[in-house]
Amino acid sequence: MRRWLDRAFLVGTGGCAVLALTVLLGILAAVVWRGAGAVSWEFLTDGMRQVGASGGIFYNVIGTGILLATALLVSAPLAVGLALTLGVYVRNSRRRNRLVMMLYLLNGVPSILIGLFGFVIFGVLLGWGKSWLAGGILLGFMILPTVAVALFERIQALPANTTEAAAGLGLSESQIIWSVILPQSLSGWLSGSLLGLARAAGETAPIMFTATIFAGATWPQGIRESPVLSLPYHIFVLAQDSFDPAASVRVWGAALILLFLVFSLSLLALPLRLRLHEESRHD
Amino acid sequence: MIKKLPHPVPPTAAPAAPEFLEIRNLSVQAGSRAILQDISLSVAAHQVFGVVGPSGAGKSTLLRALNRLLDLQTGFRVSGSVILHGEDIYRKDVDADQLRTRIGMLFQQPVIFPLSIHANVLFGIRHHRRLRRSDAAELVEKMLRRVTLWEELKDRLHSSARQLSLGQQQRLCLARTLAVDPEILLMDEPTSALDARSTEAIEALMLDLKRTRTIILVTHDLAQARRVTDWLACLCPENGEGRLLESACCDAFFSSSACQKVFDRLDGGS
Repeated sequence: MRRWLDRAFLVGTGGCAVLALTVLLGILAAVVWRGAGAVSWEFLTDGMRQVGASGGIFYNVIGTGILLATALLVSAPLAVGLALTLGVYVRNSRRRNRLVMMLYLLNGVPSILIGLFGFVIFGVLLGWGKSWLAGGILLGFMILPTVAVALFERIQALPANTTEAAAGLGLSESQIIWSVILPQSLSGWLSGSLLGLARAAGETAPIMFTATIFAGATWPQGIRESPVLSLPYHIFVLAQDSFDPAASVRVWGAALILLFLVFSLSLLALPLRLRLHEESRHD
Repeated sequence: MIKKLPHPVPPTAAPAAPEFLEIRNLSVQAGSRAILQDISLSVAAHQVFGVVGPSGAGKSTLLRALNRLLDLQTGFRVSGSVILHGEDIYRKDVDADQLRTRIGMLFQQPVIFPLSIHANVLFGIRHHRRLRRSDAAELVEKMLRRVTLWEELKDRLHSSARQLSLGQQQRLCLARTLAVDPEILLMDEPTSALDARSTEAIEALMLDLKRTRTIILVTHDLAQARRVTDWLACLCPENGEGRLLESACCDAFFSSSACQKVFDRLDGGS
């Protein structure tokens, strides 16, 4: 009876793992199967033509790249500030837990609400209309909890004797932060940022009212009324509205490129995270 | 187990050199628990002042109170005074960071920064003084020679310091501390993680360094205390609080009856 239970448990857990993998592989297979035909050098280097029925997705990749780079730049100083607040300045653990809790709450705000909120602030109050900067800032706030928590965890994993040794040499708190804490927790910031960006790359809701349009944008010219194209919005619009079979193949092509981008970001983050765990175990 | 301990005995002989560090009625509380209770000691310049005692006696806490490293940890409250050159280091207007450049510390475990050997030596000093490239190279050589590492390491100054053996790392830490040029060196069981040869090297350095500096050495190794210290203090936990049992010059100390039970305990333990 006990052996039977053991075996059933094994089959159950294994089944869950296989199911999860099947979904992943299924998505991957479907996207590659349908999209691979559309991907070519021209597809990557040409702008969109004929409402997506021909041409490529060059400016969509550029637009998504601009949004992600802005999100990275916006989130970095905020995440560093937050992580230092949590890891260095707030010494009361109850207060610290409350702050972390708020970060998780921010992480849980539905992305469509972030989009609407951003639209009211940037689009209406500041009068930016649709602007790449608004989209970048919103995505930056979306990934902020992920980046800040990853960096904070890395700071907490730093052995206490490292900062003590630096203090013993007469370094002030800010000198310790700059030359001990931040350099040694850089990998936490990087892996958090990559994971956050991997998620932000595919988000449509925060940018659809605030930063991106379907057609007619190239490089941004300024801040006001300066939207960009993007991969997820491109897929969203074409998948919903296009009945042209030529466009449909290209949607899968765009999806394949987006998937490739997201996977690359996640995979880049993986070794960094593993190294982080290694180090905290050895030190 | 020690049940009842006699009251602390006043120093049996006057220190050889004039005192320049005075610890007066120093107590340290962690939350509601007292770690050190009413410690008074005077330390003369240019000697190795040893602090022995079983674990839990508050030896490390005492060292960390002397350069105000305790300030950085939450929950510690220090009372009493520590007078250096006639000035209380706990006075409000004393800059604790600057104080730690005058009172350096060597820890039990060598702490190496993930940088080159060269950068490790300069790690402290380059935050206090602008160094020209040539001065920096000169200082690195001087400090590594000081801790007898130069010959071993001169050809790989720019490789990672983490590859060094534990004994080399500890001497590198000493070089890094000396580069800041402190007048007092606090050493918290600096050889307890090291092999016999490295221990010997560090002990030889202590004897050499005391010509120009004052060393306060925490150790639980009585043989080491006998080898290197000039003056010794013995701390012992009493109801969980570290108290001073005895402070005497090395020879008088080992014949002191007050510490005999502590000695037995230490010899048994080490």
